[in-house]
Amino acid sequence: MDNAIRVLIVDDEDDFRETIVKRLNARKLQAEGANSGIKALEVLKQKEFDVMVLDVKMPEMDGIETLRHVKKMSPEVEVIMLTGHASVEFGLKGMQLGAFDYIMKPAPINELLDTIGQAYNKKRGTA
Amino acid sequence: MTTILGNIKGIYQTLRRRRGGQAQQDSQSEMNQLFRFRYALFKELLSSNSQLLTILSDIDEKLKGEQVFGFSYIKNQVNKALQHAFQMVKSLNVMSGSKYRGLYASLEQINNTIKEITNEHIIDNAPANAVGYQHISLQDADWAGGKNANLGEILNKINIPVPRGFAITTKAFHTFFDYNDLKDEIINQKNLIYVNEFEQLTKLSEETIKLIRNKPMPPELTQDLQDACRAIWGDNPNVLLALRSSAVGEDGDLSYAGQYLTMLGVRFPELDEAYKAVIASLYSARSLSYRSSKGVLDEHLAMAVACLEMVDSKASGVLYTRHPYNIIDENILINAVWGLGPYAVDGMLIPDSYAVAKDDALTIANKTISLQAVQLKLNPQGGVEELPVPENEQALPCLSDEQIRRLAAYGAALEQHYGCPQDVEWALTPEDELLILQSRPLKIENPKNFCLLEAAPIAGYELLLSECDIAAQGVACGPAFHVHQLADLADFPEDGVLIAHHSSPEYVTVMRSCSAIVVEAGSVSGHMAALAREFGVPTLISPEPAMTRIKPGSIITVDAYAGRVYEGEIQELLKADSKTKDAHMTGTPVYEQLRLIAKHIVPLNLTNPAAPEFAPEYCTTLHDLARFCHELSYKEMFQISDLASKLHGWSLKLDASLPMDIHLIDLGAGLSEKVQPDWQTVQLQHINSAPFRALLDGMLNEDVHGNEPRPVNLGGLLSVMVQQSFTPGHVGERFGDRSYAIIADKYLNFSSRVGYHYSVVDAYCGDTVNKNYVTFSFKGGAADSVRKNRRVRAISIILEREGFKVSVKVDKVDARIQKYPKSYIELKIDMIGRLLIFTRQLDMLMTTEQSVQWAAENFLAGNYKLHATEEAMESQT
Repeated sequence: MDNAIRVLIVDDEDDFRETIVKRLNARKLQAEGANSGIKALEVLKQKEFDVMVLDVKMPEMDGIETLRHVKKMSPEVEVIMLTGHASVEFGLKGMQLGAFDYIMKPAPINELLDTIGQAYNKKRGTA
Repeated sequence: MTTILGNIKGIYQTLRRRRGGQAQQDSQSEMNQLFRFRYALFKELLSSNSQLLTILSDIDEKLKGEQVFGFSYIKNQVNKALQHAFQMVKSLNVMSGSKYRGLYASLEQINNTIKEITNEHIIDNAPANAVGYQHISLQDADWAGGKNANLGEILNKINIPVPRGFAITTKAFHTFFDYNDLKDEIINQKNLIYVNEFEQLTKLSEETIKLIRNKPMPPELTQDLQDACRAIWGDNPNVLLALRSSAVGEDGDLSYAGQYLTMLGVRFPELDEAYKAVIASLYSARSLSYRSSKGVLDEHLAMAVACLEMVDSKASGVLYTRHPYNIIDENILINAVWGLGPYAVDGMLIPDSYAVAKDDALTIANKTISLQAVQLKLNPQGGVEELPVPENEQALPCLSDEQIRRLAAYGAALEQHYGCPQDVEWALTPEDELLILQSRPLKIENPKNFCLLEAAPIAGYELLLSECDIAAQGVACGPAFHVHQLADLADFPEDGVLIAHHSSPEYVTVMRSCSAIVVEAGSVSGHMAALAREFGVPTLISPEPAMTRIKPGSIITVDAYAGRVYEGEIQELLKADSKTKDAHMTGTPVYEQLRLIAKHIVPLNLTNPAAPEFAPEYCTTLHDLARFCHELSYKEMFQISDLASKLHGWSLKLDASLPMDIHLIDLGAGLSEKVQPDWQTVQLQHINSAPFRALLDGMLNEDVHGNEPRPVNLGGLLSVMVQQSFTPGHVGERFGDRSYAIIADKYLNFSSRVGYHYSVVDAYCGDTVNKNYVTFSFKGGAADSVRKNRRVRAISIILEREGFKVSVKVDKVDARIQKYPKSYIELKIDMIGRLLIFTRQLDMLMTTEQSVQWAAENFLAGNYKLHATEEAMESQT
C-alpha cells in the first residue's frame, strides 16, 4: 500500500519499541523504530514520516529535546509524546512545542492506533 | 482551516467528486471513527472536569479551617488539580486541532505561580544524614520529618524532656535510594498494576519490600549512623533503640497513623537492617493503598526516621489535651498502660483513664483504673516481649496523682505552645521521669445534636448494641460484613459495615468502600480510630459481642454519636448526621499556604461566555481553565456535529415541547434506523436510547409542567438564535437553556447549563445489572450562598430518599446509584427528568428555611404545583 501511514517509534526500551513496531506493521502501517533521540534525528534525515511516537524519558537526548529538533528539521511530522508518569511541566512543554498529543504508558494499542490515525489526518489536512 | 474540520471538508469534497455508494459508506465510517476519537477526548475532558470540581469543593471545605490538613495534602491536591487542568486543556486542543493554544501559556503561568508558593516551603536541604535533636526545631520538618521536628521543638522550645536520640534525615533516604538506583525500578513496577486490586497490591508490596531490604547500605550512611550513636551513647552495648518513621509532609497532624513499621529494641550493629526495614514499609500494602486513595505520587516520596533510645517504661500511654469528640468536655484526658506504649494504642487491652481539669490546681476529675494482666516490656536480648503484670500491681493506677498532674501540666504547655489541642504520647522511665514521645494536633469534632447522646433509642427498631465507645463520629447504614482474618477483606462489599473482634489499622485497605466499623476491642485513641476519623468512617468500639449480636449480611444502622447499632435502615438518624467543628486551622502556616495557592485555583472569573474576556488569556485560575475548556468542548463537539449535519443532512435536534433546546449526538444505535440522513429534527418515537427515553418521559411528565409557562414555538425563534450562536468566529450568546444529549442505545450523557449552575446525568442502562448506573451532579453557581445551599439541600433530600448515595460539598451535589436492573434504573432516570424540570422553579421559591423540606416533600409526594401550596404555607405562617 503506497499510502500506508509511516510511523517512527522512538523509545530506548527495546521490548516496548519492538512490540509496538511489530503490532503496527501487523495493522498495515509502515512502522520502524529508533532507540534514541539522536538515532531518530538521523533516520529522519534519510526518510520521510507522517507520525512519530516519542518517549519523553530517554538518556542523553530526552523526548522534549528531540521534539524541539524534530519541529525544526521536519515540522510536518506529527509527534505523539509517550510518558511513563504524569508531569504537568513535561506535558506543557511538549504540547507547547507542537506535539499532537501526550499519552500515558501503557497505552492500549487501539488507543494508540486511534491517536496515530488522527495525527495522520491532521497532517493530511494541512499538507 | 488547519483543523479536523478542515479535514472533514477535504474528505467531503473528495467524496463528492467520487459520488459512489461506496464512498458514502467510507465517509460514514470515517465520520464514525472521528466521532469516536472526539468522544474519547470529550469523555476524558468531562471526567477531568468533574474530578477537578471535586478537588475545588474539597479545597473550599478545607478553607473553612475546620479540618486538619498538612502540606502533603496541599501538594497532592494541587498536583492532582494541575493534572486534571492539563488533561482538559490538552483534550480540548487535540479535539479542536490546537485552536486554543493560549490555554497552555495560561496554565504554565498558573503552574509557575503555584510552584513558587509551594517552593517557599519545600526546600529539602538536610545538613547531614543524621542530626541530633538539640539542633532541630519545627522549621526543619521538611528534612527531619514531622515527628523529629516536633521532638526537637518540645525539647528546645518548651523545655519538656523527650527521649535521647537523633534524626535520620531525608538526605539519608535519598542517599540509600540513589546508591542502589531504586526509584525508577519501583515506579516502573508500580505502573504495571491497578492499586485497587487486593491480590496484586499485596504481591507488589511484598516484592518491593524485599527489593529494598536486600539492597546494601551505602558505606557512608552506615558510618554516619554509627557516629551519631557514639556521639550520644558512647560505646554502651546495653542501649536499645527504637526506629520509627518521621514521614515528610506528615506534619504531625495528617496522620499516617500506624502506617509505617516501627522497629523496637534495636542494637547498634542492627541499625542498618532496622533502618531499611522502616523505610521499606513505605511500600506496605496498606501504605500503597492509602497513598493511592490520597493521590500521593511516588516521585515525591521521602521518609525521615526517628532513632530514639528505648526506655523500658514503667508505664506509658496517650494524652489528649481535651475530649476528642465531646466539645463540652474541656478536661485533659490521659490513657495509661503498664510497660511499653504499643498496647495503649493497639487496642490490645483496656487502659487506665484519668481526666484532669484545666484549673490552676490541675484537679483530677476522674480516675478509672483498669485491671491489666499483661504488659509489653523490653527484651534484654533485643525486641520486646509480653510479660504478666505483677498481681499486686494489676489493680493499682499506672501513675501517681503527682505524676498525673505533672503530665497534665506538660499537656497544657503543649496546647499553649502549639495553639491548638494536642494528641500526645508519653512514657514514664524506670527513674520516674516523664518523657514526651510525640505531640500532634488533635482532631476535634462536635456533634451538633449533642442531646442525641442522652436521647432514648429510636423507637420501632431493634437495638443491637448500645453504650459503645465512639472512635469516629457519624451515622451510616449498610450490610454487616464479618472480618475474622485479614484475607476476608478481599471480598469486602461496597458500603458494608465492617464487624470484627479486634481493631486493626490494616482495615485502612477497605476504608474507602466501608460505610462504618464496629469492633469489640480497641481504643478510641488507637491507630485504627485515627484512620477512621481521617477517612470519615463512623466507628464504634462495642463492650458487647458485636460478632454474635449482628448477623452477617443484615442491614444495620450505626449511630456513632450515641454509640448504638440498630437493625434496619433509620432515615431519621442518617439525616441528622451533620456536624460542625472548631475552626482551629485558620492562621496556621499550612492554612496560609493553602489560602495563597487557592487564589490561583478556586475563584471563577470567567462567568459570562458572551463576554470578550471569556478567552484563554484571561484564564487566571484552574477553575477558569476548567470552565473555559468545559464550555468550549461542547462547542467543539457541536461544531463538528453541525458541520456533519450540513454535509450529510443529519440534523440532530429533538422536537419536543420542553423549555430547552436539546441537541443530540448519536454514538451508535441511539436513534431509530428509520431516521433518514436528510432529517432536520427527530421525534420522540425515534429515540432508541433506553436511558434517554426514560429521562424524556420524566421531563415531559404533564404534572411537572403544571406551573411553568409553556414555551411557544420552540422550533422557531430559539433554534434560529442557537444557529446564530454557532456561527464560526462568533462566541455563543445565551438566549435560552441549551442542553446536550450524547446517546447510544444503552448510554446517556445529558448536560445542561442554566445560567451559573449546571447539571449532568450520566447513565448506563442495559441488561447487565453490574454495568448499570446513574450519576447525577448538580452544581449551583451565582445565587447567594444561603439560597444556593437551600436548593442543594432540597435536591439532596430528594435524591437520598430516592435511594441514591449522595455527597454534598458546599454547593455541589453528587449522587450515584448502581448495579440495579434496567427497569429500576429507568424509574430513577425518569425521576431525575422530573427533578430537572422541577428544580428550574426552585430558585425563586427558596425564600425560607422551611422551604427546603417543604419543596422536597412536595416533590416526593408527586405534588409539583408549588404556587398554590406556597400560598397555603404562607397563610399558615
